[in-house]
Amino acid sequence: MAEMNGGAAMDKEALLKRVGSEKKLHRVDSCPFLKDHLTVVVIGASGDLAKKKTYPSLFALWKSHFLPEKIKIVGYARSKMSDADLRDRLRPFLVGAKSVHGRTDSQVEDFLEHCVYRSGGYEEAEAWKGVNEDLNEIEANSGMLECNRLFYFAVPPNVFAPAASAIKDNCWNLEGGREGWKRVIMEKPFGTDLSSFESLSQHLSSVFQEEEMYRIDHYLGKEMVANLLYVRFANIMFEPLWNRHYIKSVTITFKEDIGTYGRGGYFDKVGIVRDVMQNHLLQVMSIVAMEAPVRLAGERFDEFIRDEKVKVLECVDAIRPEEVVLGQYTASRDGSEPGYLEDEGVPKDSNCPTFATLVMWIRNQRWEGVPFILKAGKALNERKAEVRIQFHAAAAGEFLFPSAGELVRNELVFRMQPNEAIYMKANMKQPGLGDKITVSELDMTYRNAFPDDFDKLPDAYTRLILEVLRGKHAAFVREDELRVSWKIFTPLLEKLESQKPTSYVFGTRGPKESDELISKLGFRYHGGFYKYLKSIPGKVG
Amino acid sequence: MTEYKHGRLGQKNAAGCGRGVCRIRVCRGRDVDGGWSSDTKMTGSAFVGSAGPATSSPVSGRTQKERALMNNRAVTAAVRKASHAVRMDARNAPAPGASAMLSGLQLDTQKSLMDSVHKRTDDCRKEPISIVVLGASGDLAKKKTFPALFSLFYHDLLPDDFQIVGYARRDMSDDEFRELILGSLTCRVLDGRKCSEKMDQFLPRCRYHKGSYASEEDMASLDKLTADFEEQRGVSNRLFYLAVPPSVFEDACHSIHRAARGAKGWTRVIVEKPFGRDLASYVHLQASLSSSFSEEEVYRIDHYLGKELVQNLMTLRFANSIFEPLWNHHHIESVQISFKEPFGVEGRAGYFNDFGIVRDIMQNHLLQALALLAMETPVSLSGEDIRNEKVKVLRQVKPLTIDDFVLGQYKAANGKPGYFDDDGVPKNSTTPTFASCVFHIPNRRWEGVPFLMRAGKALDERKAEIVIQFKPAPGDIFNVPESMKSNCLVIRVQPDEAIYMKIISKAPGLTSRLEQARLNLFYREAWEESKDIPDAYERLILDAIQGEKSLFIRDDELRVAWQIFDTALKQMEGDRAPKPAAYNYGSAGPIEAERQAFKLGLQWIHD
Repeated sequence: MAEMNGGAAMDKEALLKRVGSEKKLHRVDSCPFLKDHLTVVVIGASGDLAKKKTYPSLFALWKSHFLPEKIKIVGYARSKMSDADLRDRLRPFLVGAKSVHGRTDSQVEDFLEHCVYRSGGYEEAEAWKGVNEDLNEIEANSGMLECNRLFYFAVPPNVFAPAASAIKDNCWNLEGGREGWKRVIMEKPFGTDLSSFESLSQHLSSVFQEEEMYRIDHYLGKEMVANLLYVRFANIMFEPLWNRHYIKSVTITFKEDIGTYGRGGYFDKVGIVRDVMQNHLLQVMSIVAMEAPVRLAGERFDEFIRDEKVKVLECVDAIRPEEVVLGQYTASRDGSEPGYLEDEGVPKDSNCPTFATLVMWIRNQRWEGVPFILKAGKALNERKAEVRIQFHAAAAGEFLFPSAGELVRNELVFRMQPNEAIYMKANMKQPGLGDKITVSELDMTYRNAFPDDFDKLPDAYTRLILEVLRGKHAAFVREDELRVSWKIFTPLLEKLESQKPTSYVFGTRGPKESDELISKLGFRYHGGFYKYLKSIPGKVG
Repeated sequence: MTEYKHGRLGQKNAAGCGRGVCRIRVCRGRDVDGGWSSDTKMTGSAFVGSAGPATSSPVSGRTQKERALMNNRAVTAAVRKASHAVRMDARNAPAPGASAMLSGLQLDTQKSLMDSVHKRTDDCRKEPISIVVLGASGDLAKKKTFPALFSLFYHDLLPDDFQIVGYARRDMSDDEFRELILGSLTCRVLDGRKCSEKMDQFLPRCRYHKGSYASEEDMASLDKLTADFEEQRGVSNRLFYLAVPPSVFEDACHSIHRAARGAKGWTRVIVEKPFGRDLASYVHLQASLSSSFSEEEVYRIDHYLGKELVQNLMTLRFANSIFEPLWNHHHIESVQISFKEPFGVEGRAGYFNDFGIVRDIMQNHLLQALALLAMETPVSLSGEDIRNEKVKVLRQVKPLTIDDFVLGQYKAANGKPGYFDDDGVPKNSTTPTFASCVFHIPNRRWEGVPFLMRAGKALDERKAEIVIQFKPAPGDIFNVPESMKSNCLVIRVQPDEAIYMKIISKAPGLTSRLEQARLNLFYREAWEESKDIPDAYERLILDAIQGEKSLFIRDDELRVAWQIFDTALKQMEGDRAPKPAAYNYGSAGPIEAERQAFKLGLQWIHD
């Protein structure tokens, strides 16, 4: 016992030496895993997700001293490869990768030293046994008693369930009296409808405990989504306005300016509703709409947040088919961009929507009568993801400002990408000798407000992996959340299956029916694009 | 009938240029207020005579009647419904071509605001005007009045046909006078492209007339000079700008009234503070003023009201739906109004020692800002409606006593002289150069919300700002540090006009720390194209020419402002006057001001 304590003290000292300052040492308190040994097993290490997201994020954490010194990252996939092959494969994705301390290329080799590779079938018990032996050996060599294992599933959904069983059966027990947590990170898709979700979920929950599972929705790792909770509940002036009395509509938008580009085969099976709305946009919506949780910090806060998200989603009415607009893009006007049906792997008669607008009504005391408009599309005029809360027009504004016509409504906008920003559209007096009213923005553009941090904003995956290591579930999707989200979407998806989407031209705003629907709901669009104000940068104490 | 219609236009209508051409304007543009005439009549009030200057002896009693009309909600409601009002107008005041007017008006009411502003400007520009600046050789005239007049001319906002007459006791030729104007131009248009060309057009229209303020004879010769200008012209207005010391103020008013009123148009006087030094002296001054001019003819400047951001307060509050729900004691912890200057009296001690910081800044400028912040929504944003609300809320302010104040006097420090080092400051002076005080407004909206106000000279910075401090977010689900809890809306009047909201946000990155951040609206940045925010005086002089009174202070407003301060001022002066706390030149002011806030559970917000 005494020896263990001594060991811990040594670790702390070693850590202090490594991170360089006492100040940074407080990390040890928020990241207790830093004192332990860690093994990360990346399942599907040869795939796209692994090399584009998983490894670069792990590297970013490594560079920022958010990974323990005693670490091994074991890649696993079917392809035969040596450790050196894997490193060669990963290297181009790490060089120039972002970390919270900016772009640096040093340390790539140091990091790759810790990466090894094992090959085998995903459901092959023997292969996993072999991995387990390796893990035990690694852990024994580390000389640590606390050894944690993180399994990152970067594999297609069809091998998901069998691989989970094989791992649970073969890699779950530590040897030599060593102890530690085992956690599993999983990625979407979590089923394609309610019944497929239920069967997957049933299987997984027979294998893992709910608290061992971390289901990634990478939108929850975005800076602005994380900040939504803070801005709503740490300030006094938003919450009194955050209800049907003051809010006219909430629009959650995801727009891409690119098409499917060869991913059409995959996309066609999924469609825009499953790809973006049922998960990402619904997650954002639940955070915008939920009640205040019991706590947002401290013990069990992650469960409190998810309780509230589930609760508000339970209040969502069935989506009305007449309040849905589907679209599918055709070639751009100049012909330089092909239409969706021209993409390889897309059936020529595909009804798969690449654009959708739909309306949700939350039937509770706070939101009755306020439309939540979800809008997502590919091949549109811009790339943007934002939450736009439109308030009622100022009461009696037309009496007080008779010549101003209809006053522009206030809007609070959380821009998630690109260029993270929070801004509020407000009516101001036009400076000068007239009494014209003009719209301006009360603005907090991250680039200006946090100039030191803006370029270092961590990738969503980096943030999420760290949360897993910390054991915080708040930014992950709980089983019951997924169930209720499928309950909302499955009936709609079934109805839409055979519906022909409206065509829209690549690079436009999408089908005009969408704008018509939104305007029918009382949303007032007014021009005046958000400008990035050249306001004086600087944090405010 | 016609006469009376003009009258109302002249005083109520923002576009009211006075007599004569107004008849034409009734049927056009922003003159939806034309509807006033009929509705006023319908209320049955016995309104006779004209608000215009035609009558040579002003009837002060009329002011009351007119105001009663203003206050009549039925009347104002009619203004809101322009087309309705117009119909009524047409029915009740049939005039040749009324139906044509009607259609013209209905069309015009749909025009944009900018059109109506242009229109009001255009109409007023058609009437010739003589602008007489009394005290033309003084500081105020040199620093503010002439530069503002030139800037208005430069931007084509003055009437096309105008003359400017400087009037003072000093001997000066027209040329010397023009030199004086030229030498004082430090305005924002100086580097404008056409500046020298415009100046060449401007100066020949400026003339100088020597005279004593009390002398009716001198004033009569001014009248003759002005009448010469007016001779060839139909309608012609006179605007007197009284940039004179308080000692000659009454004399000047009387002699203008007796000898220099215009015969061919309206006569208006712009007057500046000080408006007395306490309630009694104000009442005396006002009695004297109102024996010469009707309330409608008097334009009392508080130049703070001409500041861009102070004007924006109303737009901010009432054109947005997001602030008004928060604008009350449920959500606001305190309101803090600060005015800080980094320099001492430096030579102005003679004047200043007589008045002190409370009269110099608080009782007028800062109290005006407070009234605009705290007032209820006015019926409309017209001058009378806004001033009604300001008066109402000021009446609800609990009058101050000495106990509500912390007073300070700066002393030499950092190589700078103390207040007593200035010539003209008596060694036993108790005049405060710093004051902070707490207002309470025990009404439905503001019960329990302290309004903190402070003003001082020789402090650590130049700043005038309003901070609305919100209550902390209820509950404590984040463990937010105390110091960071409250949100603030900051409206900075100077330097660098700005509006921003302090909010709490997640610190970016992998942390879950909370950090304070700003939702910014930096004026000059946000509107780069309008980099020339006009000087307060430009705005105010223009409004006076156009008859727009919302930015000027009404008689009853001043009275109630003095009522609020009267007791406290008496207590802080005289034999038993307390000695102000000493503070260092260049410091943040006496520590007692911090203590005063602390006792209320507050802190002065510094950013």
